[in-house]
Amino acid sequence: MLLPAAMITPRPLDLLLLSGAAVAAAGLGAALGAGRRLTPALVGWAGASAAGLMLGVAYALVSASLAGSPFASAGGAALAVLLLHAAHAGTGDAARATTAPSARAAVRASAIHSAAEGLAVGAAVALGPAFGIVLALTLIVHNVSEAAVLGAALRDEGRSPSAAAVAAALARAGQVVLAVATLAVVVAQPAALPWALGAGFGGLLYLLFAELLPDSYQAVGRTGIALVVSLAAGIVALLGGGARGGMP
Amino acid sequence: VIVDGDVPRVFGYALLTALATGLGALPFAFVRDLSPRAMATANAIAAGLMLGASIGLLEEGERVSAGATFVGALLGVGFVLLTQHLLGGREPEFGALRGADARRVLLVLVVMTVHSFAEGVAVGVSFGGGGALAAAITVAIAVHNIPEGVAISAVLRAQGASLVACAGWSILSSLPQPLMAVPAFLFVQRFSALLPYGLGFAAGAMVFLVLEELLPEAYAHERATRIALVTGLTATAMLLFQRTI
Repeated sequence: MLLPAAMITPRPLDLLLLSGAAVAAAGLGAALGAGRRLTPALVGWAGASAAGLMLGVAYALVSASLAGSPFASAGGAALAVLLLHAAHAGTGDAARATTAPSARAAVRASAIHSAAEGLAVGAAVALGPAFGIVLALTLIVHNVSEAAVLGAALRDEGRSPSAAAVAAALARAGQVVLAVATLAVVVAQPAALPWALGAGFGGLLYLLFAELLPDSYQAVGRTGIALVVSLAAGIVALLGGGARGGMP
Repeated sequence: VIVDGDVPRVFGYALLTALATGLGALPFAFVRDLSPRAMATANAIAAGLMLGASIGLLEEGERVSAGATFVGALLGVGFVLLTQHLLGGREPEFGALRGADARRVLLVLVVMTVHSFAEGVAVGVSFGGGGALAAAITVAIAVHNIPEGVAISAVLRAQGASLVACAGWSILSSLPQPLMAVPAFLFVQRFSALLPYGLGFAAGAMVFLVLEELLPEAYAHERATRIALVTGLTATAMLLFQRTI
């Protein structure tokens, strides 16, 4: 069964505002990181909370997606995981934060990261503004901590906080483009929605396993991280379930 | 509808998960040690399966009551934390057990046995969500048990234990699963309003185990991108499996 087309309501202004706020949050995080205002432990905790929020959103996305079409959902998820893995193979694990990445590698990783998030935001907004807002708020929190790491890498290369903020925001520009493109595609072709939601799930899952969790474990330790991620994921799953309310 | 007459089936499914632990001894018929990377991949597969299974449990609970499922998940996390607290800081010594005496080997078995209580509860309450969900949870926990069996066997083999002894002790460590599954199943059958709490409990405990045990151990010996690939794909496969069986 496919999701009914009537459920897909275009919300381009909502989408632009939400994804724009996520980009601005990345700029703020990079400026903070470049200004040496965040300790590694704080970044670790922020990353863990962002990972939990992403896990909760991923749960909400896949629940909605599976209700439409399990095969399309799984296909989208697998495709996203494979594509992101291929993209990471290009940047290498050196792009990961705790391995002291070069600024260029960190910016490249951030751009890849934002593409998956843009897809997830676009698909979530297609389901409904409330669901989109929950997802976007999650990504805003996440972007601050992730971009702080990027900011620290840029600082090491002598960039100022304002230059770091601009670089982080530019690296995140793809998030807005992907979000708008995803919304346009699913409005034009509603059958693509389970694929998009599944891809959002797979992409977020991959990113939290490949980037957020390893960095957080290194910065803080396993029990604290597991606790924070579980709680944050549970809260978002609870809120996300309410936000997508009318889903089949 | 699942009724009390299904108790043998519940016991049988949970017994299968315990027997799967014994499969962890098999690799030692061919090699003396498994590479850390192979163990990391096995942990990543188990993490993906358990995560996918947990999503199924949460969805099932959410259909009845999202709030109760959330509370149950918190209780599940709390249960694992309490278990670990009662065990003290002994679990981190696991890696140093190679060549240790029998008392320390026994400690490993105790640790493994205690934490398998929550997994038994997961199998039992999953029957409240239907046969398909129960089958999926059983597969996830059975697969998760294999690396645990490998870990136990690695310790015992280093002490000169036979393959049969390795398999036997591994299975013994998971016997709480059939023993806990039946009471958990009967409990949620008698008090059906508690089903979402039970489903949430099992999901919370499994997600916490994934985050606290499986993933950190996987990251320690394999690249994060490969862990993400394996875990992401197996979680997706598990979700599809649950929806199509």
